[in-house]
Amino acid sequence: MLNLIYWELFKTYAKWRTYIGFIAVGVLIPVIMWIMWVEGGKFIQHQLRSLQSEFLITGNLFNGWVIAQLIMNGLWVHVPTLIALVAGDQLSGEATSGTFRLTLIRPVSRTRILNAKYIATLIYTASLVIAIAFTSVGLGLWIFGTGDLIAFDKDGITILPEYDLYIRFLFAYALAIWSMFVVASLAFFISSFVENAIGPIITTMTVIVIFLIISNLPVESVEGIKPWLFTTHMNVWQQAFRDPYDWEKIRTSVLALGANSLFFWAITLFIFRRKDILS
Amino acid sequence: MSDIILRTKNLGKHYKNRWAAQEIDLEVHRGDVFGFLGPNGAGKSTTIRMILSLITPTTGTVELFGHDLFKKREAALQNVGGIVEKPDFYLYLSAYRNMQIAGSLTLGKTPDDKKINDTLGIVGLAERSLDKVKTFSHGMKQRLGIAQALLCDPQLIMLDEPTNGLDPQGMKEVRELITRLTTERGITVFLSSHLLNEVEQVATRMAIINKGKMIVQGKVEDLLKANANKVLFNVEPVKRSMAVLEKIKKVSEIAQTDEGIVAKVDGKMIPAVVNELVKAKCKVFSVQPKHSLEEYFLDVTTES
Repeated sequence: MLNLIYWELFKTYAKWRTYIGFIAVGVLIPVIMWIMWVEGGKFIQHQLRSLQSEFLITGNLFNGWVIAQLIMNGLWVHVPTLIALVAGDQLSGEATSGTFRLTLIRPVSRTRILNAKYIATLIYTASLVIAIAFTSVGLGLWIFGTGDLIAFDKDGITILPEYDLYIRFLFAYALAIWSMFVVASLAFFISSFVENAIGPIITTMTVIVIFLIISNLPVESVEGIKPWLFTTHMNVWQQAFRDPYDWEKIRTSVLALGANSLFFWAITLFIFRRKDILS
Repeated sequence: MSDIILRTKNLGKHYKNRWAAQEIDLEVHRGDVFGFLGPNGAGKSTTIRMILSLITPTTGTVELFGHDLFKKREAALQNVGGIVEKPDFYLYLSAYRNMQIAGSLTLGKTPDDKKINDTLGIVGLAERSLDKVKTFSHGMKQRLGIAQALLCDPQLIMLDEPTNGLDPQGMKEVRELITRLTTERGITVFLSSHLLNEVEQVATRMAIINKGKMIVQGKVEDLLKANANKVLFNVEPVKRSMAVLEKIKKVSEIAQTDEGIVAKVDGKMIPAVVNELVKAKCKVFSVQPKHSLEEYFLDVTTES
């Protein structure tokens, strides 16, 4: 199995499209950093205007942690596209190129081949989020220095002490990887029944956008289905910046996301094992 | 172990409103070069895809080396290599990497360098092993396809139209390679083709499929015996020549065709028959034996 995973990873990382996500991250994050550096903290000052009228704030609040968190907030809706770009090509790409005729006539079960591809997809997903983590935190701390984190969310502002931030960011990125696994699983599932890579990318993003809209609709009639939509739980990483942690919410979201990923994997396996290779 | 290394029983595939292949009963013996013939769209590729587990059959069973393909897939395919239709590869990888991937799927580990290079050497690609496959010509991809099929020392290789798109020289090389594989390495070859000349030159046994159904199966020489002693006379005038032939006792089944007159004549009798024609002032342009595979194939597919 390890050998299969190794070669699936080799194929994944030998393709040009795999690096589009890394290049996008490598270009976009420094650009955001540069804009922040040029703007010189106007954004933070704007956010803190009401707070400063009632509290005395000292220290470097416009620091690398804040920038990294802002980037995370800004990118988490866009990263799925970069993930779907690769995950949506894993099965459909082989169908298009005809290489299933090379691999599926071998004495290895389709289940093992699919699992190796799925694991390679998850590793790519994790590697992309880790790349975002290293680029945003690393560059952020290097350019803007360290300090406490002011975490903004819809409930208000939380100030988290600097000594606690390494573990919180680690936790946040781990949760982000977990939620992106659902996106990867969805794109992987869609790629199992089409024979071009564009279809899974567009369909995945369409599903995410529709689900996101439903998840955020303030309408009572959809409240019942919201907990079942993976998009409701995709921002679970934000829980890493709550103080104290809301473990109940984290547990629910982690389980819901895991169940979604498992569901998509299971039906992909069901389809793939029965798929006639006609291309 | 049985001498029969591939056996299909009642194999069939039904799509929405038609049978792509039906009631296919094949038996391939160890050491055979088994020609699998049929016109385009006859169901050859569907049958091969079922045998190699790319397609799930609607009916029937496939047994490879005594193992049921659908119950013991891994054991059944362990000694099988193949190309299905045109060989496709990971174009963004080198020939060498493609061989590593194909080999690792069979062996469960990456094959060693020597094995890969030796196999690429057999098909004349050793010097191009590090080039990306996207730079390869169609003929080179065909040869690489054969190399990946041979990589893990299979006892049976399934070649689906292996000379498709090759120039005459390339076709000749593939035919020679197939002959070498059987004579030097003892590999059984299942060769699907619609090129009758190709199969006639290399096959020992064959089956013919048409409109999804198998028509005939057996040793090539036995099947062609049915057409033995048929001779095509290219003569003029045709009417007078027909009259002459009808008078000769040992000439039978005389028929006029677009090509000339076809008749059944013992080979030893041909000089005497030609002599009679010449005596009757008929012009004899040529006398050709008519027991080619092409004739046989046309006979049986037209009948079906």
